[in-house]
Amino acid sequence: MIDIGIADLCVRHDGAGRALADVTLYIPAGQFCAVLGASGAGKSTLLRTVAGLVAPGEGRLLFDGTPLRPAQRRRIGLIPQDFALSGRASVARNIMAVADIGLARSFAGLYPDAERARATHLLAHLGLDETHLARRADSLSGGQQQRVAIARALLHRPAVILADEPVASLDPATGERALALIRNEARNLGATVICSLHQPALARRFADRIVMLDAGRVVFDGAPAMLDGNGIPPRIRAVAR
Amino acid sequence: MNADLPWRFPALLNTRAVALIAAALLLLWYTGQRVEIGRMLALSGEAVLAQAGMASRSQVADGLGSTLAELVPIQLSSRREVSRIEGFDPDRLPAFAHIETTRTRVSELDPETLRREEHVVRTAWLVEPFGYAFHVAAKMLETLEIALWGSVIAVLIGMPLALLGARNITPHPALRAGSRAASAFLRAVPELIAALFLVIAFGFGPIAGVLALGLHSAGFLGKFYADDIEDTDRRPQQALAAMGAGRLTIWGNAILPQVLPQHIACTLYTFDRNVRMGSVIGLVGAGGIGQELKGRFDLYEYGHVGTILIAIFLVILTLDLVASRARQAWR
Repeated sequence: MIDIGIADLCVRHDGAGRALADVTLYIPAGQFCAVLGASGAGKSTLLRTVAGLVAPGEGRLLFDGTPLRPAQRRRIGLIPQDFALSGRASVARNIMAVADIGLARSFAGLYPDAERARATHLLAHLGLDETHLARRADSLSGGQQQRVAIARALLHRPAVILADEPVASLDPATGERALALIRNEARNLGATVICSLHQPALARRFADRIVMLDAGRVVFDGAPAMLDGNGIPPRIRAVAR
Repeated sequence: MNADLPWRFPALLNTRAVALIAAALLLLWYTGQRVEIGRMLALSGEAVLAQAGMASRSQVADGLGSTLAELVPIQLSSRREVSRIEGFDPDRLPAFAHIETTRTRVSELDPETLRREEHVVRTAWLVEPFGYAFHVAAKMLETLEIALWGSVIAVLIGMPLALLGARNITPHPALRAGSRAASAFLRAVPELIAALFLVIAFGFGPIAGVLALGLHSAGFLGKFYADDIEDTDRRPQQALAAMGAGRLTIWGNAILPQVLPQHIACTLYTFDRNVRMGSVIGLVGAGGIGQELKGRFDLYEYGHVGTILIAIFLVILTLDLVASRARQAWR
């Protein structure tokens, strides 16, 4: 179980304004936190910064009270917005890349039974079957690639799941199934989830908490039910509808 | 700002690009003077006009024409004196071979009578209609073997150099600088010069050839592999790195699948180049068809030289076809 502390986080992209401005959040271990906001609001930057792919200009980022240690990286599961699969590699190799096995075993396809069983479980829940394993990742549709990226992020039983629009390429039913899988796996593992979404309805349904960003700033932070309460500015209410 | 005005769209040819093109043209003009590009064009044009019957003479056409004319007919057969063939068995002739006998009238001084006497000497020759073609094929095979092992050594040295020399996976910038410098040094020593030194060290024969080709092309592969690795899509690498994957895992799962087609193409090109260079380094005694080529050239046996050049061409053409198929298979 890992909690995440974000304090006064500022990120500036080259040649552009601030992508994140003074973001302060504490996400307790095991919480499913959905991040909402319009395109360009800073959702992906927030996730990429927490994943260590973007260096924060200012502020602090703490995992269990300490800066991210190399050993803790093995406990992160990342679902990038653009899937970030190795296109020419097979689906099996993409998923098993995060399994902690040697390169020789990986090349020979000698994956441990436990990892094979887990990959089978995840892929089956995501609507993929055994025939997909040998296919090159770049031969799959966008939605199939997204599901492979989800399976890859969950395979090694992460303690932190960072999902950047994980259902953007999926149809509504498959998207719901995928989010349900992420939530159930997170509950079973006790994992902390930060998940950016464009669908407020899904965020209300699956998240314990919703954070809303606008121009890199946190404009709402609370339980889903609070979005319907009094005192919510109409602009936020419109995005959350 | 006036909202009615259209936005300014960037042009492909801006002032900087035009200045760069002008600088490049100036450089070409200056260096062209120094390497006599103008004279080359004049002489070549004269040769073309002479061939078309529009000019009376051309130094280039005359020189090239007389040399090329001597290459044909190419030499395919071989003819060896039977008495000089060790363990010759007339009942077991090579395939397609036959014995020819020549008679030569010889005039000798008899030491007893001190009179000049004439008699006929019969000489038997083993004639093989494709003997020289087979000999060239065997030498070509040796060249291919030298090129193959040169390429294997190049891959074995070039791959670690690339892993250390690629910015995105090198363990330390200093190792990258060292690896890039080593690759540049290996490339800077031409095969022919390396072969000269290696022939002194290892003696005449294929060892010097294999090492000369291997070391030089390791410099190329070290650079090409590293450049390919640096040009890869970073996103899969970053995703795996974010999830704690080690350098080797990232290389094996996120880099190698991307660069494998380019690595294969580079390696096949290196083999192709080594076959061609393997034909050249034989000139300094490093084995292969080059030694045969130099020997025949020095003896003015241009028919033999023609056979050798055609053999090299056929092998390169075949390799090109095979490489093309291989590249398609790994695309």
